[in-house]
Amino acid sequence: MDTVIIDGLSFMMPLLCIAVGGIYSERSGVTNLALEGLLGAGAFVGALFVAFFGKLFPETSSAPMYFAMAASVVGGAVYAMLHGLLCVKFRANQVISGVVINILAVALTTFLTREINSGVFQAPSDKIQLGVSPRFDVPGLSKIPVLGAVFKSVYPFQVVILVVIIIAWYALYRTRFGMRLRACGDNPHAVDAAGINVQRTRFLAVMISGALSGLGGISFAYSFSANFSASIYVGAGYLAIAALIFGNWKIVPTVGACLLFGLARSGGYKLVQLLALPSSYSDLIMILPYVVTLLLLIFFSGTNRAPRALGEIYDKGKR
Amino acid sequence: MKKRSRVTRLLVRAFGDERRQAFTVPVFAVVMSLAAAAILLLAIGKNPVAAFRALLSGAGFLPKGSYSSGKGIFTDLMTTLSSLTPMIFAALAVTVAFKAGLFNIGVSGQMLFAGFLATVLVGYSALPGYIARPLVILIGIAAGAIAGGVIGLLKYRFNINEVVSSIMINYIFQYVIGFFILTKFVDPVTRHSKAIVKAARLVPSGVQIGRYKTDFPVIVVLAVAASFALKFFLDRTRAGFELRAVGAHPKAAQYAGVKVGRNIVLAMTLSGALAGLAGVAYYLGYYDSITPKALSSVGFDAIAVSLLGNSNPIGGLFASILVTAVDRGSTYMSSAMNVQREISQVITGLILLFSACGAFIRHLVNRAREEDK
Repeated sequence: MDTVIIDGLSFMMPLLCIAVGGIYSERSGVTNLALEGLLGAGAFVGALFVAFFGKLFPETSSAPMYFAMAASVVGGAVYAMLHGLLCVKFRANQVISGVVINILAVALTTFLTREINSGVFQAPSDKIQLGVSPRFDVPGLSKIPVLGAVFKSVYPFQVVILVVIIIAWYALYRTRFGMRLRACGDNPHAVDAAGINVQRTRFLAVMISGALSGLGGISFAYSFSANFSASIYVGAGYLAIAALIFGNWKIVPTVGACLLFGLARSGGYKLVQLLALPSSYSDLIMILPYVVTLLLLIFFSGTNRAPRALGEIYDKGKR
Repeated sequence: MKKRSRVTRLLVRAFGDERRQAFTVPVFAVVMSLAAAAILLLAIGKNPVAAFRALLSGAGFLPKGSYSSGKGIFTDLMTTLSSLTPMIFAALAVTVAFKAGLFNIGVSGQMLFAGFLATVLVGYSALPGYIARPLVILIGIAAGAIAGGVIGLLKYRFNINEVVSSIMINYIFQYVIGFFILTKFVDPVTRHSKAIVKAARLVPSGVQIGRYKTDFPVIVVLAVAASFALKFFLDRTRAGFELRAVGAHPKAAQYAGVKVGRNIVLAMTLSGALAGLAGVAYYLGYYDSITPKALSSVGFDAIAVSLLGNSNPIGGLFASILVTAVDRGSTYMSSAMNVQREISQVITGLILLFSACGAFIRHLVNRAREEDK
């Protein structure tokens, strides 16, 4: 039971971080299918930092990891500016822009990884090694039966993401900025009439989504893959989109959706282990989160409502 | 009237009116992206002209320096056509959904489903070619139509966003089919599904034509025909008009008496059928086996290819040729020029990036034209 909770949460938190990024973008009215590319581009920048400056730190220090996280946040935000530029300034179709950003991210990061590895480090490889982040137990709390597992073997990035999510929630629902951002997604003309720059708000929202996706991406790189390579593009970004739509574009329900994905995933693996099935059966179990989502959507999506101006290019002159 | 430089005026003139822009804007986007790619090539110290020549040679549009026996520019071109076929179908699949205001991001999943069913039902049978091949195509159409139709139905009946349901269904196909391949149909050496029999393969391989031994993708004719058929359907038939009306403005369409729900299901079924064709052309044509637990990138690239072709079936045809040529030519280019193979994806990405800005270019040009009047 403990491993289910531990693994489930360590998958859930990065996913949630990416999904909340998506919520920022979509609530401001910009459809964001680019999450997959944003998380990869962000993680790539973080990994680059480690590749270039990791040697300056002592072997056992975890400081490079925190610097890498910061670099990923910046990298994700900067790369997201491309999506912002295309969608907000260049009036591109937002879904298409998202797909293009994904294709370009996969291509550029794998190309540059190889190019930098062979050009700068004289080591032809398609990976940047990062290693797995250390884990810790919260003293005291981790001794609680069953629920204590929540505080056991915690990755530091989970704590960072938790803090970030709480701030993100506060900013979106309790500040003037957040209210304006949400209004941009529902009624941009009203926001404009109130004297706020719709395009700037949306651009900022897309950048925030890039920053959060980058943080989620580097967290995946430091836990599940232990390196940066093309293997980071396994569809976590698309899963995050599903989670946020499932969560009805609200942060709290999205937490539930991500928790469901995380636990269904780790629970599935555990189930395969318990039943002592051959490992190929784990593939069948892996569909569990997606089947559950589809079934739940069938029952609950009647009330699902996207932000009203989602996907529309803001045109001042249009009524 | 604002003063403009001579160059800008010439550019605006060159773009032409709305009709001409459908052609000039994508061409401009391609030129811009090739320029960007050239800068990238220069930055890593390669000669861009030689690189583009190598790219075209690899795709079979220009002769290479030397060929091994039985190979030639003709065989390269045939391989390119073989890999072009699924891209054309997939781009059509995206286009028809897009015309109805839907995004079929599940093309790759529908391709996999159709390819797998056709492989299992026909690919290992002893049927003669003249029965097996039509059967493969029919199964592809039917399987794709079902997989696509379900997404349309989920949207119509349960208000489930088609993007989410397609993503979920993509995963489900990927894992379930991967499971069956790995447990029942796996080739122990390659770890792919077992190769299908020759009679079922839509692209006969090793055909002797003149002095060449080549793949012979007749099916590309079907893909081109499908493009024109879809163009006719969308522009000249009542059903096609209704479908476009739903895409343009669902409320207005409903007010005019068009059944919106039925058209959503119809569009997704059609889109799925085309994706199914792409699937059999890919898994039982270009390849002869399926890699378990992986979706092909064709379905995702097709979304952007369809846009590059202005969401027009015929435009999509040309866009498919361009993107496929870059992809096919990259292997030869990377060995001839000693650059990483991934550069082809970067070039494709750049082409798609610039084409996504097409609407903006059009906007600028039209504004300039208005002001000049």
